[in-house]
Amino acid sequence: MTAADVFSDVLLGLAVVIVLGASLGVLLMRDAAQKLHFVTPAALVAPVLVTLAVLVQTGTSENTGESCLALFFLVVAGPYLSHATMRAIRVREP
Amino acid sequence: MVLGFTAAAIAMLISVIPAGIVIARGSLPAAVVGYEFITAVAVMVLVLLAQAFQRPSLFELAVLLAVLMFGSGLVFVRAMERWL
Repeated sequence: MTAADVFSDVLLGLAVVIVLGASLGVLLMRDAAQKLHFVTPAALVAPVLVTLAVLVQTGTSENTGESCLALFFLVVAGPYLSHATMRAIRVREP
Repeated sequence: MVLGFTAAAIAMLISVIPAGIVIARGSLPAAVVGYEFITAVAVMVLVLLAQAFQRPSLFELAVLLAVLMFGSGLVFVRAMERWL
């Protein structure tokens, strides 16, 4: 096991912890506005860690490029989608 | 190397269960939030499995789902805001 494997596993472990914590937040919070706050860690932070893990594991390769592309769309879409969702929640539940 | 990515994918799939409970039992806005959560996790799971099984072509599924997540999420949100 190389240092890259260890570092990659640490990044993946962090991503998993963040996603599991966020899923508990989505389950346990009372209303939709509170639940929405827990989507952001899973939609923005964890994908960054997963992409970094792929980068550490494979270097600059096709896999890393496509992971970065998926990450780009997640990072661009996430805040816009969260804003639109919060607006719809406010319209429904003033 | 493969084990770490596979284990992470399985752990992330487990995290879908609480969001699924929210979709099944929560209010409509909460269900939309749960849907957005599951879609974001699904993108990561596809990346992790493609890396775990060393299939570069499978990364395109993750990219496609990330793009579709944006469009489908907006469709659900607009429908919820105007008609549901």
